[in-house]
Amino acid sequence: MRRRPAWLLSIPAWIWYVTWFVIPVGIIVMYSFGRRGVIANGETDNVILTNLSFDRYSEALRAPFGTLLRLTLETAAIGTAICFVIAVPAAYAMATKLGPRARMVALALVIIPFWTSFLLRTYAWTILLASRGVLSEELQDRGLRDTPIELLGTRTAVQIGVVYNYLPLMVFPLFVAFDRLEPSLREAARDLGAGRLRTFLGVTLPLSAAGVTSGLLLVFVPLMGDFVTAEVLGKAQGTMIGQSIYGQFLDSGNWALGSAMSVLLIGLIAATVGCFALALRLSLLAFHSSRDLRLPRQAA
Amino acid sequence: MKRSIDPVSVGLKVWTVAMLAFLCIPIVIVVAWSFNTANFLVFWETWGLRWWRTAFDNESLRDSVRTSFVVAALSTVIAVVIGGFGGIALARRPGRWVVPFLVLLFLVLVTPEIVDAISYLLWFTRLRLDDGLLRLAISHSVFGSAIIAFVVRARLAGLDNSIEDAAADLGATPTRTLRTIILPLAAPGLFAGALLSFTMSLDNVIVSSFVKTTDTVTFPVYALGSLRTGGPKGDLAVAGTMFLMLTLVSLFTATYALRRAGGSSREIVGALAAE
Repeated sequence: MRRRPAWLLSIPAWIWYVTWFVIPVGIIVMYSFGRRGVIANGETDNVILTNLSFDRYSEALRAPFGTLLRLTLETAAIGTAICFVIAVPAAYAMATKLGPRARMVALALVIIPFWTSFLLRTYAWTILLASRGVLSEELQDRGLRDTPIELLGTRTAVQIGVVYNYLPLMVFPLFVAFDRLEPSLREAARDLGAGRLRTFLGVTLPLSAAGVTSGLLLVFVPLMGDFVTAEVLGKAQGTMIGQSIYGQFLDSGNWALGSAMSVLLIGLIAATVGCFALALRLSLLAFHSSRDLRLPRQAA
Repeated sequence: MKRSIDPVSVGLKVWTVAMLAFLCIPIVIVVAWSFNTANFLVFWETWGLRWWRTAFDNESLRDSVRTSFVVAALSTVIAVVIGGFGGIALARRPGRWVVPFLVLLFLVLVTPEIVDAISYLLWFTRLRLDDGLLRLAISHSVFGSAIIAFVVRARLAGLDNSIEDAAADLGATPTRTLRTIILPLAAPGLFAGALLSFTMSLDNVIVSSFVKTTDTVTFPVYALGSLRTGGPKGDLAVAGTMFLMLTLVSLFTATYALRRAGGSSREIVGALAAE
């Protein structure tokens, strides 16, 4: 039988990802140990790579960047949590309470925003929230408010914006996970006398752990690196690290410092995700051992 | 079950409808505001076709839309080749190479975009690669191909290995088997993945604003520029509305194509959401 090994087909992908992913990310790591040089004589590269040091890291960790790291983590964590709280009941209802037609419509309505220009839908919030915008004027005209809404440029506005932008990414995986569960499992739990909440928390949610994890990841990771939402709704006062990295590269031209900031960002994301995964595993473990009735592991 | 009114179910449905409204309001705003006659987008004046008439007169807007489409097409072609073969390789007879390959794909997908963006900028500068279209197409293709690989892999996952053996027994060369059997079976996945890669490229802001050159500005970069300097005007909303209509058309085409190819509504959702 003539069979060509399957991995041969993956060779183009290997070459492509090494050339355009592994090497460039490696360069960031290398540059983060360098220092800023002067751009001269048509030179486009301004990082000096002699005497490598950790100086850029200590520079990056000083205020205001250190504070910005904390603020970004806060915005991302709160944003992910709000997305989760909004998405769980909705995804559950879409998977279990809606008929096939209504379900398709609901899914389409979740997908369409996800596929519409990110910038414009963020900007639409500016139109809504502006102090001289529709919402503000309308509320004042109806006497529901005396003063204009002053939300733009605040962290609240950025928070609303990120929740809005990343919500679909939480709904999809949760929906798929809930949808895959056999309804008979829920019925069995009910027959055994578990209440609704207990069935959901004790059966449905633990069995959907994979969907929950991918939803949290899909929202948290891009949110940490986002700067567009903050740029559009948070105005000049930087509220996200992304803005500051953007500035180092495209405005002040300190590539070495910008590289160190990016490495710190990756590290922070990896650390947060790692801690969270550990906590999730421990709590699931505690949960399972605290019950007399062992739940089956996720059925294949 | 009895069809009595159940407060919890009603509550869940109301919650869902509220969430869908929250998701759709900004889109309705963009469409409505494209018919706004005011000079700047933030303020509402009155209904009118002013910006629909003049949107095409704005040369830089027109160029940016054209650039966006050229880049999306180029990057999708690359992504389909790279990701398509990668996905097929993953689904067929996986070996020991699969684990590092999956780790690599996973890393590509989870690296924050801002990090990708600067890494491309540094690398392209080092390579002295100055062609803007090429820079944009290459950088967009990396993420797109990873997504296509996953969608194609999911599509082919349940396929029985004996199909290939049968083809080989009947004298088909591996290339012929690939062309006449595997590729047609992978086609719906390839198509859905390609569509996803295309729209993501069209919508990409962060990577594009780093790797673009002055004469290759994509639509999102142009839009970000006009948001940063002064205020965006109505023509931006008009362009946004047209993009939305295009999205709707491609969404329906994709659903139709996948359904004709025999996919269930769940698979379609999975494929479209790149689950």
